[in-house]
Amino acid sequence: MAVPRHVACVMDGNGRWAAQRSLPRTAGHEAAEAAVMDVIEAARSSGVTWLSLYAFSTENWRRPSGEVDILMRLVRRAIRKHAPVLHARGVRCRFLGMSDPRIPAPLVQDITDLMTLTRDNKRMTLTVAFDHGGRRDIVEAARSLIRSATPADQVTEASFAEHLPYSDTPDVDLVIRTSGEQRISNFMLWQVAYAEWVFPQVLWPDFRATHFWECLGAYFRRQRRFGDVRQPTIVTGEDLR
Amino acid sequence: MSQTIPEESVDVFGPDSILRRLVNEARWGLAVTRATLLEAAYPQIGAALMENSTFLTHPWRRLRNTTMSSRRILDPDPRVRDREAARLNRLHARMSGTDAQGRPYDATDPEARAWVVATLFESTVTMCRLSGEALDAEAMRRLYDEHRTFLALIDGTSDHLPATLPEFWSYYDDVIAHRLENNEAVGVILYRLFANVPAPPVLRGHPAVWTAGRAVASPVVTAITIASLPEAFSRRVALPDLPGARTLMQTAYLSAALATRYLPESWTRVEFFMGLLDPSHEGAGPWEAVRRQAGKAAALARLLTPASDEDDQVVRSADRFFAEVLDQTGDGYLRWPDLAAMAREIATRLDLGEQEEERLFQAYAAWWRELQTALDSDGDGRVTRREYAAAAACLPGSGLIRIADVLFDATDVDDDEKIDAEEYRNLFRTAFHRDLTGSGGSYSRSAFVRHFVSFMSGQQHSNAYTSLLSQG
Repeated sequence: MAVPRHVACVMDGNGRWAAQRSLPRTAGHEAAEAAVMDVIEAARSSGVTWLSLYAFSTENWRRPSGEVDILMRLVRRAIRKHAPVLHARGVRCRFLGMSDPRIPAPLVQDITDLMTLTRDNKRMTLTVAFDHGGRRDIVEAARSLIRSATPADQVTEASFAEHLPYSDTPDVDLVIRTSGEQRISNFMLWQVAYAEWVFPQVLWPDFRATHFWECLGAYFRRQRRFGDVRQPTIVTGEDLR
Repeated sequence: MSQTIPEESVDVFGPDSILRRLVNEARWGLAVTRATLLEAAYPQIGAALMENSTFLTHPWRRLRNTTMSSRRILDPDPRVRDREAARLNRLHARMSGTDAQGRPYDATDPEARAWVVATLFESTVTMCRLSGEALDAEAMRRLYDEHRTFLALIDGTSDHLPATLPEFWSYYDDVIAHRLENNEAVGVILYRLFANVPAPPVLRGHPAVWTAGRAVASPVVTAITIASLPEAFSRRVALPDLPGARTLMQTAYLSAALATRYLPESWTRVEFFMGLLDPSHEGAGPWEAVRRQAGKAAALARLLTPASDEDDQVVRSADRFFAEVLDQTGDGYLRWPDLAAMAREIATRLDLGEQEEERLFQAYAAWWRELQTALDSDGDGRVTRREYAAAAACLPGSGLIRIADVLFDATDVDDDEKIDAEEYRNLFRTAFHRDLTGSGGSYSRSAFVRHFVSFMSGQQHSNAYTSLLSQG
């Protein structure tokens, strides 16, 4: 079975990681940075060409404002620290979501700069779901479809998908959700339709390249059938569209 | 027989006009820059430039408008030509006053206008000479006649330029020797305009990249311009003669000539460079690669510089609003010429006819009276940034609403009480933006007026309005 083209990670367990060590929750977010960089490098070297990370959901705004503030600052610091390396390694960075006015302006500027800097890179596309909600994306796509005045009988799965943000993103092949939680949590709902899911017990701040390879191994052992019964196959969801 | 053809249908410049060919060549920019400096040294023109012109704060927009205007005057279609001449005359008729020394000036003064055309002619001749392709006697006479025709089109008569070439040269030398002066406008062009020229729209988002390039280019452009000026003029106004400047200047002119001759024609035509001045052309054109690379360099530079303090953003944006949008002439104050410049830019961009243009100016004048009454407490005819910031939001806003109304009427060309995508593009030179329009693909009068008023009173930022009144 081929290397999955598109891998997505739901980075869960930062809070529990910190609680186990009697640290504030934000320490868990801080420790998550190393895991993020490790996974980006592991994915890139394994030949994964699309990697998506669920960093912040539209529901996460409900967290205490102090935690949100620190999280925003951490993201900004991480972007500034790692931008040159990401660019040098040929990673194209994109941020999915990003529509809430509460995102601080300097962070928006840095994110825009990172996207501008890396937009022509080819080796891998890193999509960071930030202030993201899967349902909201689908609603936005529906709005955009209506605005384009497409007749109802011409709406197909493929034509609908063209109205989603970053419509060139292929379907997700593998989703890794750390910390043993088994939920979708409104993450890239349209794109995960045919994805394999794995739920390693390890908490996100402890997640490293070896765990990533284990998850790839689990993916290889599965037979992806897309509803068919006869033939284990290596086609990806993208080819079915 | 030429008399039998009605004059209106004649292409006065003829199909093989030298001037029309040159206006389309990018290297003519060298001649125009040189001519502008010689014009500025003429007392009346220098005063009008300093008092009214936005060339210091918005040089690219000015360049774009001037280029478009010259091309229209040279257009073979007499309707295009006459309409543009009438527009220019209306525009200039609004510029008169007294300079800092109390001398009156008037932008419609026929002698001053003759001098503008004279400098253009002489600079073109000089450009050809310095490019190693000097015009022969016949070509020079034809070129001179074309310039006289040009003057006749805007002024109604060419009497203020001598009838023959030999008379012209003695007139020209006489003005250089006796009329020109080393005024503020000359100094501003040579030492402030080139050194501070803001980024052209293509590079607007990347000030760091532009500043670095400008630091190198600005002294070079100054040196080239000074070295190309008539010796008698340089002596009179005491311009420096730097070693190597002449060689540099001759190299520049020669390279421009060689480029025009040997490079693909599309690269040396004005359109190629006009792309640089047009912020709306995304995704295509030769400048897109430049824009992309500059964008990446600037993004990297910003990411590598230490994170800035987040608190002075608000103050800075108010300063920027005043400097970029309100203070069109760049003198640090809001005065009538600033408002007139805004009206002029909008009228030019929408290509308004006489009546609509008049309505727009009237609306701006009403707003100016409102501002003066409310803000200019000491009655010196100008409003400072502080005065504006403190009180703009509390003004009744009827002046602004009137401008917004006129602007809406002028933009809504099909009178359907909606600004659709194309009308919007004509006004702002960019596509609709989703959050400006809400849902649906058009812009209603009330939404338009509301946005305009809150933008102009500094309450709400809008990229579209900023680009209308500051970019280009």
